[in-house]
Amino acid sequence: MDSCFAGVRINMENHSTQITFKVNGEQNTLDIDNRFTLLDILRDRLTLTGAKKGCDLGECGACTVILDGKAVNSCQILGVKINSSEIKTIEGLSQGNMLHPLQTSFIENDGGQCGYCTPGFIMGAYPLFESQTNVSVEEIRLALAGNLCRCNAYGAIIDSVVGAIGNKVDG
Amino acid sequence: MVDQNTRPSSVGTSFQRTDLKDKVLGIAKYTADLSLPNMLHARVLRSPHPHANILNIDVQSALKMAGVHDILTPFNVGVGKIAPDVPILDTKVRFVGDEVAAIAAVNVYEADTAIDLIKVSYDVLPFSTNIDTSLEMGTPKIHPQGNVVNGGPIVEARGNVEEGFGQADYIVEDSFTTPDHHPASLEPRAALASWDGTRLTMWKPSRGIHADKAILAAALKINPNNITVIGPVMGAGYGSKDETRTSILAALLSMRTGRPIKLELNREEEFLAGRRRHSTSTKIKMGVKEDGTVTAVHVKTVMDTGAYLSSGPGVVRRAGQGALYLYRCPNVKYEGQIVYTNTPTAGSYRALGAPQGHFALESLSDQIAEKLNMDPLKFRLMNHVGPEGQPGERITPKNQIIDTQPVEGGVPFSSNELRQCLILGADAIGWDRRDQISTTTGPIRKGIGMSMFIYRGGPGGQSNAEMSLDEDGGFTLNVGFMDVGEGSSTVVLQMAADTLGVLPQMIRLNSGNTDNTPESPMTAGSTLTFSAGQAAVRAANQLASIVIEAASEAIGSTDTKGLYITPEGVCSMNGDGVKFADLARKAGLLKTAVSVTPGSKDYIVNSFGAHFAEIEVDIETGYVKIIKYVAVHDSGRIINPKMAEGQVRGGISQMMGFTFLEDMEIDHSSGVTLNASFLEHKSPTIMEYPEIEVIFANSIDPIGPFGAKSLGETPCIAPAPTIANALYHATGVRLNHLPFTPDNVLTALRKLR
Repeated sequence: MDSCFAGVRINMENHSTQITFKVNGEQNTLDIDNRFTLLDILRDRLTLTGAKKGCDLGECGACTVILDGKAVNSCQILGVKINSSEIKTIEGLSQGNMLHPLQTSFIENDGGQCGYCTPGFIMGAYPLFESQTNVSVEEIRLALAGNLCRCNAYGAIIDSVVGAIGNKVDG
Repeated sequence: MVDQNTRPSSVGTSFQRTDLKDKVLGIAKYTADLSLPNMLHARVLRSPHPHANILNIDVQSALKMAGVHDILTPFNVGVGKIAPDVPILDTKVRFVGDEVAAIAAVNVYEADTAIDLIKVSYDVLPFSTNIDTSLEMGTPKIHPQGNVVNGGPIVEARGNVEEGFGQADYIVEDSFTTPDHHPASLEPRAALASWDGTRLTMWKPSRGIHADKAILAAALKINPNNITVIGPVMGAGYGSKDETRTSILAALLSMRTGRPIKLELNREEEFLAGRRRHSTSTKIKMGVKEDGTVTAVHVKTVMDTGAYLSSGPGVVRRAGQGALYLYRCPNVKYEGQIVYTNTPTAGSYRALGAPQGHFALESLSDQIAEKLNMDPLKFRLMNHVGPEGQPGERITPKNQIIDTQPVEGGVPFSSNELRQCLILGADAIGWDRRDQISTTTGPIRKGIGMSMFIYRGGPGGQSNAEMSLDEDGGFTLNVGFMDVGEGSSTVVLQMAADTLGVLPQMIRLNSGNTDNTPESPMTAGSTLTFSAGQAAVRAANQLASIVIEAASEAIGSTDTKGLYITPEGVCSMNGDGVKFADLARKAGLLKTAVSVTPGSKDYIVNSFGAHFAEIEVDIETGYVKIIKYVAVHDSGRIINPKMAEGQVRGGISQMMGFTFLEDMEIDHSSGVTLNASFLEHKSPTIMEYPEIEVIFANSIDPIGPFGAKSLGETPCIAPAPTIANALYHATGVRLNHLPFTPDNVLTALRKLR
């Protein structure tokens, strides 16, 4: 097999591959259809439907999840490539009834209208929240430049991220 | 218990959007998130030709694939229609992307593989991808009745425009065009259908579940009593989302295979087979006297509806309302024509034709002001329609409800704070420094522009509501409308709660299922807050009387007069009381149902506003930067300020796409849409989101519930002309053709030199 799939058993007979990966702290071992993307696996195999299929082309950001610490478009990651990876989705952000500060802030600032892009925006902002205490509005805009909101609630989204991170440096 | 004088008041506060918690948790369920056991997935085969007759479809090889269960073609679906010009599937295709066949398979990958095996023989026909060629003699008819819908334009007039132009000292005329503008909601269309042998259950994004049920029943020839339509959370509508074949194809595949079917359109399909804003071509002519008085307005608009009519008649009428009603004028005329082309279909999209109509009207208004050597704001302050309405005689009989889109004069508005909007906006943008900011040297040129608008909305169709005190002491408000992502369910709850005297969180809103909700009109035309709000207020009022009556019996009081409702229960003046849960146990289910016909026999209910923008134009790159944007709206009393502000800001930013970026580019030699993806069809992002100041005029409508009027679509009307006027002020170049891409701006600037 190709070296980038090292350690992965690909069954060419039925186009399936067995992979092991962690989602929101939980270990999964699945035989997946080789054509499935990470987004397909989350939505169709694990019923984690928080990540949305807005374009399936990596152009809208609605499917954003955290893969090994980085925000990625899950529709652009082939399922066979996530073997041994660790994934965090919107469903793994809250702890029981405790909402993540980003989630609380999106509610307080009315950071979503129809809500279809909201999980993607929150996961897109998550690495920023984790890495820094002080960020500028410009950094927030850059981090979320690949996420579309067709309700155009961008102003409230910026307010939500600023609110969660707590310290607004300058515009 | 609280005092009667401290009744809870939620209206006017930014009560939290009721469904937002589920959305931020990622557990809100949209149609595509739903699955049923044993479910199959469907995909659609689409036409590669803009115009062709289908001679034959060979499905044999595709059907032989192991994972394939069924294929629908025009030859096996029956003769039902989903609209007068849209059969379930047709042996004629009318645009590149039109539905040819639908396939059900075990997953989408199998379906996509099999779809390539379907062989279609086409008899390819000559085609037309624009209005001009559609109108040429000898162009093939796209539909049997010809390419002009209804054979000619609609004509609306007041007074006599020829006489009006005769009285004018100056006449200014010009032409304007607007592009194909796509709502491109982030959630593509989807449908999940389940047929159990006698009943059809349909989950779909919907702005009108009861209307969808009627369409399904008519097309599939099923008794409506055997259909349930469920509207899950909606990834936004913006007026779009219905009117296509998506749900019908899923339903038929489910009926034929006996298994649940999920059909999700992909992004390209949503662009092609969804619904776009009509592109338009408008000729406008305005006459004024030397002193600035408007004597006549005459507008002719032609709209491209693409392959099917969809909501075209409503859209073309609404495009004319600005010309007919925004300026006080006795002589006005509007002619609006709809033309079929072999392009993706236009339909309803937020504010319907109003943005296109106001782009022409409000651009020309600035041109007239310049001709008069008058400040454009002053020209509008002098001529805007006032609270008294238009000159002329009322034609509507006294006992009939006044249309919210009238032509006749002689009818006042229920409220009209347009003047206040103009004054507040001018102050907020700093209109009086306009003359000083102009620069004529260097690459950056500054300008300030403005425009104003009028919009119907408010009174919609017959609206119903049911309300009850439940066994557990909570309340249920049962309504048939859909929250399309804009938040109508939250504001309607706020109004019901205040009317009853309880807190919004004590009321459960039941909606989204045709089996257990009363009939309701579609969420369309910015009518929800006003119309569903009126129904909710009336239901809450009636329930309050019923609850007090029952409480009086429970307390053992002989009189209901001293009783009043608090969030804890019903109290009496002398300190007795009964909690809602106890009352519910004693009295059983207390409920009421109401039906209201929104509207007024005496007044026109309309919303108004004025937008202002300060911009910088880089004349070397053609790039326009918005320095500040001010939007002032008269939407009556604002029920939920935070949500309302978000609605206005979002609408303006969405229309920055219409103004600067978005156009569906169609190759005229092949009929192919070249940019059916978010990468190629650029929309506004968080990077260019400007500073937008939102101001609500001090306005309380005497007819609307809690004084509210319409808001949802109104932010979308003024952005394009506001920017066009600012661009002219900054550069001296008037752009009559949207969108103002850097390319188009540069081309226009070069022409000047």
